[in-house]
Amino acid sequence: MEYWKDQHEPITAFLKLFEKAKQDPELSEGLKKVNQLIWFDYTEDGPDCSFHVDCRNGNVLSSQGKPSEEPDLTMSLSADDAHRSWSNKLNPVMAITRRKIRVKGSATGLLKLAPKLKKVAIIYEQALNDLNFSDKILK
Amino acid sequence: MFGNTGKIIWADLSAGTAEHRTLPEQYYRNFIGGAGLAAKIFWEYGSFEAQPLAPESLLILMNGPFAGLKLSGCSRSAIAGRSPLTGHWGDSSCGGHFAPELRYSGFDGIVLQGKLEEPGIILIEDDEISVLPVREWWGMGVIETTALIGKKYGKKARSLVIGQAGENLVNYACIMNECHHAFGRAGYGAVMGSKNLKAIIVKSSAQRYFPADSDSLDSLRRELDAKITESVTSQVLHENGTAANLEGGVHIGDVPIKNFTSSFWEEMAEELTGSTLTEKYLTNKAACSFCKIACKRVVEIPEGPFSIPKGPGPEYETIAAFGSMLGSKDLAATCKAGRLCNDLGLDTITAGSTIAWAMEAFEKSALTVLETDGVELNWADMDTVIDVVLPQIAFRSSKLGELLSQGSLRAADMIGRGSSEWLTTAKGLEAPMHDPRGGGHGLALTYSISHRGACHTANPMLFMEMGACYYPEIGFEYELNPMSSEYKAESALLAVQIGAIENSSCFCQFADREIAIPEWVRLFNFAAGYDWTVEDMMSAGLRVFYLQRLLNYRFGIRASDDLVSKRLLDPSTDGAPEGVEIDFDCMKKRFYQLAKLDGTLGIPDRRTLENINLSSEANVVWQ
Ligand code: SF4
Repeated sequence: MEYWKDQHEPITAFLKLFEKAKQDPELSEGLKKVNQLIWFDYTEDGPDCSFHVDCRNGNVLSSQGKPSEEPDLTMSLSADDAHRSWSNKLNPVMAITRRKIRVKGSATGLLKLAPKLKKVAIIYEQALNDLNFSDKILK
Repeated sequence: MFGNTGKIIWADLSAGTAEHRTLPEQYYRNFIGGAGLAAKIFWEYGSFEAQPLAPESLLILMNGPFAGLKLSGCSRSAIAGRSPLTGHWGDSSCGGHFAPELRYSGFDGIVLQGKLEEPGIILIEDDEISVLPVREWWGMGVIETTALIGKKYGKKARSLVIGQAGENLVNYACIMNECHHAFGRAGYGAVMGSKNLKAIIVKSSAQRYFPADSDSLDSLRRELDAKITESVTSQVLHENGTAANLEGGVHIGDVPIKNFTSSFWEEMAEELTGSTLTEKYLTNKAACSFCKIACKRVVEIPEGPFSIPKGPGPEYETIAAFGSMLGSKDLAATCKAGRLCNDLGLDTITAGSTIAWAMEAFEKSALTVLETDGVELNWADMDTVIDVVLPQIAFRSSKLGELLSQGSLRAADMIGRGSSEWLTTAKGLEAPMHDPRGGGHGLALTYSISHRGACHTANPMLFMEMGACYYPEIGFEYELNPMSSEYKAESALLAVQIGAIENSSCFCQFADREIAIPEWVRLFNFAAGYDWTVEDMMSAGLRVFYLQRLLNYRFGIRASDDLVSKRLLDPSTDGAPEGVEIDFDCMKKRFYQLAKLDGTLGIPDRRTLENINLSSEANVVWQ
């Protein structure tokens, strides 16, 4: 991994991102509209390197690991590409076309989030700062 | 011959006859089928003097080699000829159900020439072809005509039908299949109307398709169908149709607003996007023959001012053309306007864009109630658009209808007063609902160099800039930034070749995104037995692109015509592309160098043409 020292670091950062996103009214509304159980699978970088977000029924609940229920959508990629993606430095369409991101299930909900990616990147930067990961911020 | 049948129908409507003809196999290898083969047929047999609506003009409908194959995306065909809207060469693609049925009847295409003495139809029942009078159908809309065809010839009969717009020779009349699928662009409904031809009906008794290598083709077909069906793009299209990403498009500045005067309108984005259509009005999904993506919508609006019964729903282009382009965020109105255009037989892109131009002209007092017979053309006034403007255009029944039936470029010429400043065209064809300033600067280039005018389906530039293409085998590995001109000329050169392959093989641009270049080659070889390499296939694409330019050259088009309206290049004043300049001249200059086009004439030199097997064509243009 180019940006992370172990498989736990990225999950800590991404969970922090979602915790902060929930506090932001616009992003929280956007996430609720996704209305899916999503598994972000980075297990190619370690067995514990994944987390899930449950945006169903007006909630936004995020937690480490694979969800116990079958996810509506699974996105599999490397933790480094996930870092680029949350930093809005990776074109998700291009990454899917080039198989850097593998998608299983319906990606329709994610389209709702696409317009908010710029804002997600701002909050992600704040999350990295909060965790003293400022050196990881992509300029 | 494999895949193709080698046979076409040649109908001399003035004589009331239709005969079978065969085409040389070399035509197929060199020009693939569809739009490419139609171009070759016109080159050999067409009249460059005949006006588009004159009896002598040829209207050519061609399948590709895959029509009839049970694979998602294969059931399209191309229609081509001199366009009444632009005055030069053009073509249009249509999905639906006509293409496979024509192939099963034993034909690759139909060439129409002459004019029927009275309104009639062509009926194809396997290899029996009749030309029949239908005077009583003249004056009917597409919906009523299609229903009558179903009643008279059975539900399995497939048809191409024109509405009143075609009968009245509206320059952008379209041709409809099953009331849902359109040869939308460039006005070929008017050409059919000028020939007094109301419909072409085809009925086959068996599904005959004879490929070169059935076993290999069948296993490749299964592989590709699975790949196409499982792709993210397909799933998104299946769930929410072609407008699935309208909301995302608004945020990047791809969706035109009020005649391209604005690049951002957040409130409208959610109202018009595909998931809203699904939630509010969708009753069923529909598809072209054999397509598992099923991106087409069936909608019903039970109540309200724009209520419509269950039936074909709008695609992205229609939603944007009758929504954001007209300053409206009323989704129901876009559904009703789309349904009405289908019934009257009007291209929704040109209709919406021409009305948008007129609304801006009215706002700026370049068009007044004196020229509109008292009709006020105000942004978002969808009642007037639906109840007054569209019918008046289709029937050319008023001063306003007559003016707007010409399309925006001629209408601007007619009224003057600086209104050409507000055009959104290239070579006389109104731009589709993708704004180059936000959607991608390369679009400005490909709109300008497209043979038919501003068009997003002539080649896959839109998808390339979006990141949805990856063709390392032919050197397309660029990570394009939509809002820059970097690598756009290089990409455009590949795009025009791929686009020519797509439109000549008549493959749907949504479905074929998943097909890798080597898979394309195998598909051609297993279906048509061409023995092609990647290079052979790409050369065929380039050959078609060049031939289309040569046709335009003979219609008087030169390098200076490869332009887009100023409106599409002027920096946006809001949204994501605000203030960003498009370096159009630089992209065009580089493209001309790469494509070896003469900077004045707009065509390749003799040697380039000879090297790509266009020697006889070179002899004509380089005498
Ligand atoms: S994706 Fe849509 S337009 Fe293309 S073939 Fe399938 S149903 Fe037809």
